[in-house]
Amino acid sequence: MSPVSYAVPVPRIPVGESFDSAINWLRINFEVVFDFIGMVIQICVDNLFSLLAETSATQFTLAAAGVVGVGLLARKRYAPTLIAVAIWAGFYVAELSAGLAASVIASLPAPLFVWAMNLFGSSYVYPPLVLALLLFAALVALSFIVTRDRGQQIIAAASAASLLAVLALHFIVGVQLSLIVGALLAVLAYFIAGWGVALFSVLGFLLIISMESWSNAMSSLALILVATLVAVAVSVPIGVLAAQSRKVSTVIKPVLDFMQTLPAFVYLLPAIAFFSIGTVPGVIATVIFSMPPGVRLTELGIRQVDKELVEAGEAFGAPDFQILRRIQIPLALATIMAGINQIIMLSLSMVVIAGMVGAGGLGNDVYTGIAQGDVPVGFEGGIAVVILAIFLDRLTGAVTRFSPAARAQRASA
Amino acid sequence: MPAVRADKLYKIFGRRPTRAVELLADGRHRDEITSLNVTAAVIDVSFEVEPGEIFVVMGLSGSGKSTLIRMLNGLLPHTSGSVEIEGTDITKLGKSELRKLRSEKVSMVFQHFALFPHRSVLDNAAYGLEVRGVARDERDAKAREALAMVGLDGWEHKVPGQLSGGMQQRVGLARALAADTDIILMDEAFSALDPLIRRDMQTQLLELQASLGKTIIFITHDLNEAMRLGHRICVLRDGRVAQIGTAEEILNDPANDYVANFVEDVDRTRVLTASSVMEAPIPVVDPGQGPRAALRTMRDNQTPSAFVVRRDRTLVGAVNENAIGEAVRDNVKALDGLVDSLERVTPDTPVAEMFAQAAESSYPLAVVDDEERLVGVIPRGTLLAALATPNGDDNETGEEPSRGEVGESGTTDDTAGTAEQPHEDAAQSQPDPGGDAQATEGSRQ
Ligand SMILES: Nc1ncnc2c1ncn2[C@@H]1O[C@H](COP(=O)(O)OP(=O)(O)OP(=O)(O)O)[C@@H](O)[C@H]1O
Ligand SMILES: [Mg+2]
Repeated sequence: MSPVSYAVPVPRIPVGESFDSAINWLRINFEVVFDFIGMVIQICVDNLFSLLAETSATQFTLAAAGVVGVGLLARKRYAPTLIAVAIWAGFYVAELSAGLAASVIASLPAPLFVWAMNLFGSSYVYPPLVLALLLFAALVALSFIVTRDRGQQIIAAASAASLLAVLALHFIVGVQLSLIVGALLAVLAYFIAGWGVALFSVLGFLLIISMESWSNAMSSLALILVATLVAVAVSVPIGVLAAQSRKVSTVIKPVLDFMQTLPAFVYLLPAIAFFSIGTVPGVIATVIFSMPPGVRLTELGIRQVDKELVEAGEAFGAPDFQILRRIQIPLALATIMAGINQIIMLSLSMVVIAGMVGAGGLGNDVYTGIAQGDVPVGFEGGIAVVILAIFLDRLTGAVTRFSPAARAQRASA
Repeated sequence: MPAVRADKLYKIFGRRPTRAVELLADGRHRDEITSLNVTAAVIDVSFEVEPGEIFVVMGLSGSGKSTLIRMLNGLLPHTSGSVEIEGTDITKLGKSELRKLRSEKVSMVFQHFALFPHRSVLDNAAYGLEVRGVARDERDAKAREALAMVGLDGWEHKVPGQLSGGMQQRVGLARALAADTDIILMDEAFSALDPLIRRDMQTQLLELQASLGKTIIFITHDLNEAMRLGHRICVLRDGRVAQIGTAEEILNDPANDYVANFVEDVDRTRVLTASSVMEAPIPVVDPGQGPRAALRTMRDNQTPSAFVVRRDRTLVGAVNENAIGEAVRDNVKALDGLVDSLERVTPDTPVAEMFAQAAESSYPLAVVDDEERLVGVIPRGTLLAALATPNGDDNETGEEPSRGEVGESGTTDDTAGTAEQPHEDAAQSQPDPGGDAQATEGSRQ
């Protein structure tokens, strides 16, 4: 006689199975959508990586043009700047699709470009580069013609000089790209966050280069930046909605909790199911994992804006959207930026996990270190992640300084 | 057409407002309907505000002032009743029409200033125009003008955080002025300021109102402020109107014990003005009369002195019994040289400012208008009596609406009611100074 058993039969609920079948169903029915998303993300990451790690002369030129253009826009010279950019974009698209620019350039007198081409030791005219150079030249010219602003002229002259220097250093003298890009990133850090951060970046990047992790670091950086961009683009609007409506807020809250606490590895399963192995599932898992603080801090920031200020906007007859854009968001910007900063930090912590699904980069180093018990490789990857993290953290932390609210606060302090 | 009209206005917070309105309309107190789980913030409030009037809403904390003022521009939806702004019933307007009305007709000044900390003072002042879509140059020019009006020129490029509280509220006021609406709502606009700045701001508001003729609805829980600013005052109690009237009416003729208690502590000397305490000038003599006639007039009226007033009622001075008696004995024929000069005050002079003058002369104070015409006198006894509470000595303080403009701007019926009476009293006991002079003249032969 066996003893009486008091075990209560608990039916097994097929939680895991239902998730699995849901994923399957989604994959089968929405394959096109996922393929498209995957393709876009892949293209973005690849381009960003090539910009950071295999920068071409065209990209350098465009970056310089970007600096001058932003300067012009900041000084409210919208029309001429946008016209120049639009013309460039038109030609660029035409060139990509039909080789139009090449024929236009071919019809122009050759000596005009030959000196420039000689700089890079190339004997033929590369149309996108020429277009970029023309855009840059146009913006520099605008800086001197339409503004009498000393600052803008200095910016234009300085970017022209540094562009020449960079092109000469790399393409003629032959300095490695990693050193040049590292130096440019340090310059960026100097302007945004001050010399302390710039010094740190110089030392940190040199360390990464000497560990021969530069290319991996740039690959991770590209992945993080794309993931952050997507996460911000999704989380800030959701946060705004949640701040406006209590209903949205209550619905969103448990979803965010779920996203934040579900072990990050688990995301990889559906991510791989939808996007197979590679960078894309890495980005997707990173986005999901890092989004919640963006939503939460955006909501908090907007809710924290003094109610009387919103009421003042209403009392003068401003529409809701205008109140959001001109009052709530500017005043919540510091908190929103803290959310973005959190997104970046969480993305970095996902790098290793992304490495496991073949996203490459530093995560791959660390993963290899773990899998093969290779301590040096693992550590070097880890240290490079830390350097990137500190660099990005200080940079985003400092960006808040430029918001109008922060400026006003400084003025009144 | 009134600038603002509220008619049987209710605001109930909570789930079942209709039932609550029914019960409240039956006259129940808001504490009696707590079982409905609603908060009745504003109950059956009706009033009319005329263009160019300063209408003060006063009440203790929680009496529904903020709720009421926010219904006037539609920031809070009403529960029942109606609100008319320049004849338009705003409770029937859609969202965008309401926004248009706010940006064009009604602006607002807030208790804690509600300035945008991330915008310059100029941009803050220009906000109303910016919302309305006015071009940059034009709105900046108007904002500068408004800032100059409140004495803030030169501060345009600061941010609010760099300004003191008083200056910040001036910016708040400039923002409302620049929006160039006819109606300005002010919710405890000066309550966050310290007393001296507050007085300055009140003075400035009165000056601005006088020159620009805005209709202002001003909320306060401070009785002295209400008395100083308001052409008329509406006292709210637990969401209901306790009384609407001029400062003097509320002081001297409180509608119920609540209002009476409320006004007990007010500094009456600052609220009451010469015109509200003055008495009819008795007796008067014409400067052309002789001492003998003057003496007879004084004897007839059993007074020790008489006022010397020309036919057009302009004041010359006063004579007293002793001097006239001697003159009569010495057989002097004319009053010249016997007339003493009088301390003069205007009808608007607050009682508080008259004590020093009253002490300087043995005669009563003479109240004269802009053209030096004698409109009343204030004996010292009357001055002291004015300090006492109104109960019991109502008759001593002849009430007449002190501010001429209030009478003109069409006040409610009860204003007219109380304002008329003292006139009649004065007329019965004594004909007006002009007629009086005639009478004394007749007795000359
Ligand atoms: N949004 C709301 N929901 C519920 N009750 C409210 C709300 N707003 C105000 N009340 C209630 O309405 C009543 C009147 O409030 P209101 O703010 O109008 O008073 P007030 O006279 O402005 O007071 P104070 O001088 O303190 O500003 C109060 O009992 C308050 O609790
Ligand atoms: Mg209030």
